[in-house]
Amino acid sequence: MKSYFDIQGDGGSNVVAQVEAQLEAIQSALAGVRFRVAVGSGKGGVGKSTVTMALAQALRAGGATVAILDADFNGPCQAHLAGLTAAPWVPGARGLSVPRRPDGIGVVSMGSLVPADRPVSLETVSQGDEHVWRSTKEFAFLGQLMGSLDWGSLDYLLFDLPPGAERSVQFADFLPADTLFALVTVPSDVARGVVARSVAALEAAGADMVGYVENMAGYYCQDCDEIKPLFPAATTPIPLPLLGRIPFDPALAELCDRGWPEAESQDRPSAQAIEAVAQNLVLALEGRRS
Amino acid sequence: MKFLCVQCDEAMKLQATETPQSGTLSAVFQCPICSSQIAMLTNPSETQMVQSLGVKIGPAADNTPGKCPFSDVVAQMEATPSEGIAWTPEALARLENIPDFVRPMAKQGVEHFAQTNGHGVVDESVLEQARGKFGM
Repeated sequence: MKSYFDIQGDGGSNVVAQVEAQLEAIQSALAGVRFRVAVGSGKGGVGKSTVTMALAQALRAGGATVAILDADFNGPCQAHLAGLTAAPWVPGARGLSVPRRPDGIGVVSMGSLVPADRPVSLETVSQGDEHVWRSTKEFAFLGQLMGSLDWGSLDYLLFDLPPGAERSVQFADFLPADTLFALVTVPSDVARGVVARSVAALEAAGADMVGYVENMAGYYCQDCDEIKPLFPAATTPIPLPLLGRIPFDPALAELCDRGWPEAESQDRPSAQAIEAVAQNLVLALEGRRS
Repeated sequence: MKFLCVQCDEAMKLQATETPQSGTLSAVFQCPICSSQIAMLTNPSETQMVQSLGVKIGPAADNTPGKCPFSDVVAQMEATPSEGIAWTPEALARLENIPDFVRPMAKQGVEHFAQTNGHGVVDESVLEQARGKFGM
């Protein structure tokens, strides 16, 4: 009697071919992107989204073409950070056009479509077992979205990942193989421990990690004009190169809330730190290509 | 998943699918040699798992429009309804050029933009206006 692999196709729907076509569409849409960088953590609340947008700004200021895909469907905040909460997804001549900020940074986020006070709920024919299928459906949608967008030619496409070590691994499986990962932590042993676990999980999944960013590395006191500690000294090691430390800065937080309408003053330590992180990231990325 | 006619040792072919009620799915397979038929019946959870892959099920799977997984979200967006917004064939052609998973969200967003900006019809100039406003 024949076994599974003796039979070509599935007799009608050709599900495997449909999935392969989706993957090909993603590859085709991303063909003009030089570097794909997934910004993740494992730990929530460490400032992944802020660091992602800050890096995009620094890279753009250096003359690069940059876009962000907010891959956090359930807590999308890139649209708010970018000031693009009312940007529709508009069909162009070659797929969906990428909404852009006035500075040219492209941002695709569910936050442009769904008001912040509404849940991002998914269509289902099966009530009460969302834990079984939700992740699968989100990735299917993300795949179709990535393949639908007219990304054009980009130097950097940054993925703002949702929190969770297991989510980072799922994205490592899902995103094109040459996607590079940068992780974000805060300088506490709790957060560093979670990020170290994420590093181990990503390593086991074969992901290529370029380094990590320590966010909220102290806070900038404008009155004292110095950086003071926010957390006790942490010792948990993270086995990745440190791309840089960014101090918490109330001015940066205000920019985030206002949709980052102008560049942060280069006089501020946080702006200088972000610039240094971006430079180190670029060096690490270029090192991978050389 | 594949089905084998044990008697003929031949792969069965999908003949038809139905979604009769409450998220269930019926798929009829037939042996191309002896014409024996079987029906695969899935419960709503099983149907949902397959739909979550973003694929279409059926013998004419390439032509049947899929359903946007965020249709609930689209419904919420329609809390500010955009009824009466028509699309010209040219604008509609652009819309239909994107996958059906994503299409309803794009359609709703553009119609909201058109309504907000006083347009009763979405044509290519409205699409270009929206693109221009958001730097596309």
